[in-house]
Amino acid sequence: MTTLLRTTGLGVAYGDTRVLDGVDLEIARGEFVALIGPNGAGKTTLLHAIAGTAPLRDGMVSIAGHDLAKAPRQAKQAIGLAVDPPGLPVLLTGRECLALFAGARGLAAIPPATLALGETLSLTPVLDRRIASYSLGMRQKLGILLGLIGEPPLLLLDEPFNGLDPRSALAFKSHLIATIAWGGTSVLLATHSLDIAERHATRVVLLMDGRVRRSWDAGELSAMREQPECSLEKAMAEACGGETAK
Amino acid sequence: MSALWHPAICADWLAVRRTGAVAFVRIIGVPALPLAGCVALACGDFYGGYGWGLAAAALLALGGSYAIAHQRLLDTLERWRFGWCGALPVARGATAGTSLLVTAAGLIVSLAFVTALLLGASMAAPHRGDLPYALAGVDLALVVGTTIAAVRALHAGARVRHADGIREPLFTLPWLNDPRLPHLLDWQRRETLVRWRRGGSFVMVGVVLAGVPDGPSIPMVVALVLLVLAWAWLAVVMRASADASNAAVHLVGATPLHPGLARVTSLRYPLIAASCALIPVIVGTALGGRAAIALGWAICACAASGWPLVRIFRATRTPGPPA
Repeated sequence: MTTLLRTTGLGVAYGDTRVLDGVDLEIARGEFVALIGPNGAGKTTLLHAIAGTAPLRDGMVSIAGHDLAKAPRQAKQAIGLAVDPPGLPVLLTGRECLALFAGARGLAAIPPATLALGETLSLTPVLDRRIASYSLGMRQKLGILLGLIGEPPLLLLDEPFNGLDPRSALAFKSHLIATIAWGGTSVLLATHSLDIAERHATRVVLLMDGRVRRSWDAGELSAMREQPECSLEKAMAEACGGETAK
Repeated sequence: MSALWHPAICADWLAVRRTGAVAFVRIIGVPALPLAGCVALACGDFYGGYGWGLAAAALLALGGSYAIAHQRLLDTLERWRFGWCGALPVARGATAGTSLLVTAAGLIVSLAFVTALLLGASMAAPHRGDLPYALAGVDLALVVGTTIAAVRALHAGARVRHADGIREPLFTLPWLNDPRLPHLLDWQRRETLVRWRRGGSFVMVGVVLAGVPDGPSIPMVVALVLLVLAWAWLAVVMRASADASNAAVHLVGATPLHPGLARVTSLRYPLIAASCALIPVIVGTALGGRAAIALGWAICACAASGWPLVRIFRATRTPGPPA
C-alpha cells in the first residue's frame, strides 16, 4: 500500500516541556489508525504537528510525498484537520465559516458533499445561525465538516465524537467507514473511546510521554475482537504499566 | 483570598506578573494613546494660544476614558461571570467591589500619566499659565468619564454580548470579499461593531456636547466631535481587524492557504474603514478652520491608531500548545 503519511523523529516542545520526542509513524492509504494514550501523552500535539500548526523542534513530516517544511501548500492539500469547537469564530454563521474554509482550500463554493454530510448530521437547519448560538454538539459537527471539506485523503480527527448525540455519532462513524472503504481515505483518530478504536480501526497506536510505546496491527485487533477475555483496554493497561491494570 | 475580592483577580494578577512588560504595555497602551492625544490638543493652547485646545483635550479625555473603562468593565464582568471562574462561589458584592478597585487603580495610573505629560509639555511653553486649567479640565474629565462608565457597566451587568450591535450592512460590495478568505471581512466588521458597542453608545456624544464650554463656535464643536469620533472609530477598527485576522490565520492554519496571503487579504477591511473615516476628518477639518494644523493632527492620530496592523504581519513563530 502507498504511504500517505510518514513522520520521522518528530519532536515538539513548548518552552522547556518536551511534548513529542522522536515519534516515527507511517500511515498507508485507506488505513484507519487510532491514536490512544493517557492525558498529556501528546496526541493532540501530534495531530497539530502533522497539520503544520505546532512548531517542530526535530524531525520531519511527509504527506503524500511532500515535505511539510519544504512544500507546505502541497502537503496541506492532502490533509484535513477537524477544528476544535472552542476555536470556531462565534461571530460568523456556520455557512460563512464553511465558505471561509472552502476559499482557503481553493474551492469556489462549499462542496455539495460537505453540505450532504451536514444534512446527515442534522446541522443544515442551524447553518445560517451565528456559531455563538451553537451547542457543543453543533460546534463539534461544524468542526468535523471543516476538517472534511474538499475530501482530503488524510483526515486528522481529535476526539470527534465528544458532544455528539448517539444518532449523529453513528451517522459520522458510518460515513468515516464508508469514506475509508470506498474513497481510499486515511484517518488518524486521537481518542479515548477504546471501543471505537478496537472495533473500527485497522491499527491502534499507543502514545505515552511523547513516544510511540506500542502498536496493535489489524491481526492483533481482530484476535481481540474474537476473544472475549481480551480487550484493547486490558492490552493498553498492560502496555502502560502493570499498576494501572490492577 | 479575602471574601471581599473576586477570586479571578488572583489569577489575573499572576498572569500579569508572568507576562511582565508585555502585559503592562497591553494594559497601559490602550489609554496611553488617547491620553497622549489629550496632551497634544492641550499643547495647542500652551504653544499656539488657540483657546479651544483645552476644551478639546477635556472632551477627548471624557469620551476616551468612558469608552475604554466601559469596554474593559464589560469584558471583565463577562469573563468573570461566564469564564472558568463563573461557577465559583463569590461573596455578595465581591464582583462589583473588585471591578471598581481595578477601575480605580487604572484611573489613578491614567491621572498620574496625563499629569506628568501635561507638566512636561508645559514646562517651556509660552502660555504655561493655562496649566492649572488643563490639569483640572483633563483630570476631572477622566474621573467623570470613568465614573459614568463604571455606573453604566455595573448596572448593565454581565451577559453574553456576541450578537450585540451587529446589523447586516445596508448594501454589500461582493468584490470586497477576497475569494481566498470569503467572509473574513464580515468577521472583522462584526468584531469592530461588537467592540464599538462595548465602548459606549451615542449617549456619550450628547454628554460630550453638553460639556462643551461657551467659548468655541458651533462649527468648531462639530469639527472636534467629528475628528474625535473618526479617530476613536479607526482605533477600534484597527484593533478589531488585527485580532480577527490573527484568529483567522490561526483557524485556517492547517489549510493550504499561505499565511502571508491571508494576512494581505485581512488588510482590506481596515483600509476601507480608514478611507471611510477620512470623510468626517475632512469635513471636520473644513468646519474647524486652521486646516493644516487640524489635518496634521488628524493624520498623526490616525497613523498612531494604525499600530495594531503591525500585529497582522508579526507571524507567530512559537505558538503555544493546542487548546
